Amino acid sequence: MKTLWNRTFAWIDERVQLSDVMSFLGKKSVPVHRHSVWYYFGGVSLFLFIIQVVTGILLLLYYKGSEELAFESIQFIMAKVEFGWLIRSIHSWAANLFILSAFIHMFSVLFEKAYRKPRELTWLSGMILLFLGMGFGFSGYLLPWNEVSFFATKVGTDIAGVLPVVGEPLMVFLRGGEDVTGATLSRFFGFHVAVLPGIFTVMLGLHLLLVQRQGMSKPLSYEQLPATDQKTMPFFPNFMLRDLLLWLLVLNLLAILAVFFPWELGVKADPFAPAPAGIKPEWYFMFMFQTLKYIPGELWFLEGEVVGILLFSLAGLVWMFIPLWDKKSARGEENRFINYLGLFALIYIIVLTTIGWFS
Amino acid sequence: MEHPMVDQPQQSKRDFLRYFLGGGVLAWLGAVFYPVFAYLKPPKQGDVEVTSVKAGKLSEIEKESGTIVRFGNKPVIMVRTAEGEVHAFSATCTHLDCTVQFRKDMGVIWCACHNGKYDLNGRVVSGPPPRPLDEYRVIIQADDVIISSRT
Amino acid sequence: MVLVNNNVLAIVLCSVLALSTAFVTAQAQDQCLTCHSTLEDNASAAFKGDIHSRKGLTCASCHGGDARSDDMEKAMGTAAGFIGVPKGNAVSEVCARCHSSSETMKGYRSNVPVSQWELLKASVHGKVSTAGGEQILQCTTCHNAHGIVPVADPRSPVHQRNAVKTCGTCHGSASYMRRYNPSLPVDQVEKYRTSVHGVLNARGDAKVAECASCHGSHDIRPASDVRSKVHPLNLPMTCAACHSDVARMKEYKIPTDQYEKFAESVHGKALLEKRDLGAPACNDCHGNHGAVPPGVQSISNVCGTCHALNAELFTSSPHKKAFDVAKLPECETCHGNHEIIATTDNLLGVSPEAVCSNCHSPETNVKGYGVARTMRALIDSLEALEGTAAGLVSEAEQKGMEVGEAKFKLRDARQARLQSRTMVHAFDEAKFEEVVRPGMAIATVVMGEAQAALDDYVFRRVGLGLATLIITLLTLSLYLYIKRIERSPR
Repeated sequence: MKTLWNRTFAWIDERVQLSDVMSFLGKKSVPVHRHSVWYYFGGVSLFLFIIQVVTGILLLLYYKGSEELAFESIQFIMAKVEFGWLIRSIHSWAANLFILSAFIHMFSVLFEKAYRKPRELTWLSGMILLFLGMGFGFSGYLLPWNEVSFFATKVGTDIAGVLPVVGEPLMVFLRGGEDVTGATLSRFFGFHVAVLPGIFTVMLGLHLLLVQRQGMSKPLSYEQLPATDQKTMPFFPNFMLRDLLLWLLVLNLLAILAVFFPWELGVKADPFAPAPAGIKPEWYFMFMFQTLKYIPGELWFLEGEVVGILLFSLAGLVWMFIPLWDKKSARGEENRFINYLGLFALIYIIVLTTIGWFS
Repeated sequence: MEHPMVDQPQQSKRDFLRYFLGGGVLAWLGAVFYPVFAYLKPPKQGDVEVTSVKAGKLSEIEKESGTIVRFGNKPVIMVRTAEGEVHAFSATCTHLDCTVQFRKDMGVIWCACHNGKYDLNGRVVSGPPPRPLDEYRVIIQADDVIISSRT
Repeated sequence: MVLVNNNVLAIVLCSVLALSTAFVTAQAQDQCLTCHSTLEDNASAAFKGDIHSRKGLTCASCHGGDARSDDMEKAMGTAAGFIGVPKGNAVSEVCARCHSSSETMKGYRSNVPVSQWELLKASVHGKVSTAGGEQILQCTTCHNAHGIVPVADPRSPVHQRNAVKTCGTCHGSASYMRRYNPSLPVDQVEKYRTSVHGVLNARGDAKVAECASCHGSHDIRPASDVRSKVHPLNLPMTCAACHSDVARMKEYKIPTDQYEKFAESVHGKALLEKRDLGAPACNDCHGNHGAVPPGVQSISNVCGTCHALNAELFTSSPHKKAFDVAKLPECETCHGNHEIIATTDNLLGVSPEAVCSNCHSPETNVKGYGVARTMRALIDSLEALEGTAAGLVSEAEQKGMEVGEAKFKLRDARQARLQSRTMVHAFDEAKFEEVVRPGMAIATVVMGEAQAALDDYVFRRVGLGLATLIITLLTLSLYLYIKRIERSPR
């Protein structure tokens, strides 16, 4: 057994220099400090993404992305296909956990200033991944073609439509027409299973490559320690096994959620019916949605909604480019402003999401 | 997983643990792949039942005909009058919830249970039904007949 | 303009004067009558017997003018407020001047109501007539103009015996009725004369119903009006006003509990409680103007107007002939008449409460006994199967399992059961089974599907438990493994 294994390894190594990778992995180490726990969330996000890819492909085998069959096909998956309920519920739950875990990952990176030079590109690609992830969520939400998702999409694309100049064409582009119809469903289906995964995979590859090239980031406080006090742990196998351990637990959590809280299907969307009360977007859009509700209809000379969207876009840009303007952290100095900014954003998001959720 | 970096001591305990670990991995693989393969197995009912509210092509629906269309968990009767109008009603008789049917010979929607009769506008013609059939909206888009519920 | 205004003023003053003098002159010598009597006109002749004349009213009370004066110019002059023969609504308004005032009526020691004019105006007869400008009926149309006598007086056109003829004057004339309501029948009087009410009325029985007894008098409304006494919702009470009156019904020797029974019956509950206008009121079975109890052999036809399928099945069943021979009143034999309650499966079979056992027993009419027993057994087992299936489906649904398909099929089982209850009336075992068997088959399928869903529910939890166990085991050994690696020296 062992010899066979060794011979195979040698055969491959001879051709693609596998030992280089092995020695790289062997040398790779993870800093150990009191904030080490946050390192895991990148891995958890990655794991959840893998789950999404696998369950997504499985769902694709039975799902039909058309107005008259979408809802029924999911009903079919849930009722007729063996373990269909499990696959779909896991896909839905993992989607939400993925966004949650990605958010945690982002905030931990922010507070640790892990984005500072030389990891600006890692942060940037990570932000793009997060936006893409939300795009996955938005497009995937419509696919069951149920009442709630139909109207949430209507509202969501409506909001995009109020933007000056680009709004109208953007909305028409997203909807594949003037209204949310079967055309929108086909389009969102396309985004969800082809366009977004393609871009996401490239970005994810870049993100992971950068992480491997640059190694784990070290917090400022850790970096300032004398070299002898900088404790580390080998990435392979120690950290990786821990990663695996956590992934197992996450998988178990998903199974429990899927069995005890199967994702509901609701009632089929009826484009001609009036909107039901209490249409809410997915929770990760809630803070933006809720903010728009609070902005008065008319602000200065602009529509309130437009101002809100522009503000959010601006905030997003500022956020995305933090590594470029945060010179202090880049120099290796403590930048408290970023901490306050991050804290403000975190509290803002939590509070508004909570209000939105319970209102 | 074999790598020279892995330690050597505690031979007996290590073996035990490794068997445990290996067994765990195998069982885990089983727990993951069993549902996946079961999922891949085509279900008894080969495909999604076309139970949509899209009731068919207008050009294919005969005049003076009626068909039961499944609308979620409820049957809906779609009738086309001699004049070519299409109407859809809940196929649940308002008397005692039997399923009604179109009777070309009588020109009415008829309930087999107690001989309730409704005209093609869903109104009670004779028999025990206390009120008309609930009407569904019929929308004709191009040639497609779409039945939609009034809410 | 000035001239016109003066004229108007003069007229107003005169009418005020006339009003006030009317009472003063009431007791005085009626010069109008004295003079008109010599002319021997109908009006004055009739007025002598008029209740109003007896109460001291004069011609001038209604026509205006001065009854004390024998000078024609003066008595019938505009200065005295003479209005001649009133036209249109003015006729009734003249009557209403006294008859709408309780004060005035008290002055004559009369206790007739004072609401007639208002009621008439709001009634179907208060609508504007085809002549335009006036309503269809004036007081005088039914009560006469001169020679008015109290309703109790047999000479009154609205007396109990005369009312039918009076109403029939218009309501029996197709050419007249066409002008207002072309679809309204004009044969009510004719039908009435065939009814028990009509026959007794013609014999002079003052207690039986005539038109006004059911339709009201001044406040008559169309039967479709919910306020009408003959609207389906109100009709049972209208009939009951007499038919539940024990004292009144005593001499006719008929029961008086029909209303009570009806109110408790499935029809009465539907009509009176659920306000379901499709349910029959008294008239739907007894007829309205031609009210008589349906004959024994026509019962299935009467019930069959609504319960068509049951009636049809019954008529072609062996029971039809047997019942006719035995002079049994068809539907009523098993279901009763006024007290028909919602039918349950208990009526069927051979148990003591089952109606079949009234005629069929192991000794007599044996064949039917067997059929009844089998049919009951079949319907019972269908119901049991359906109940079990429904229970399983709802249990599975409560547990969050998708059982839409099974639920949809369950409808068919229920339908089969309802159809079988109709099919009972064929009293044919084979036909009955034809309906019941498929229902049982469907119920069985549904049960299977629901049970599968429930099993799946358990399976999911067991599966999860197993998977969790495996994962926990794996996690634990992985954890120990990590610990080992980290403990061991590099």
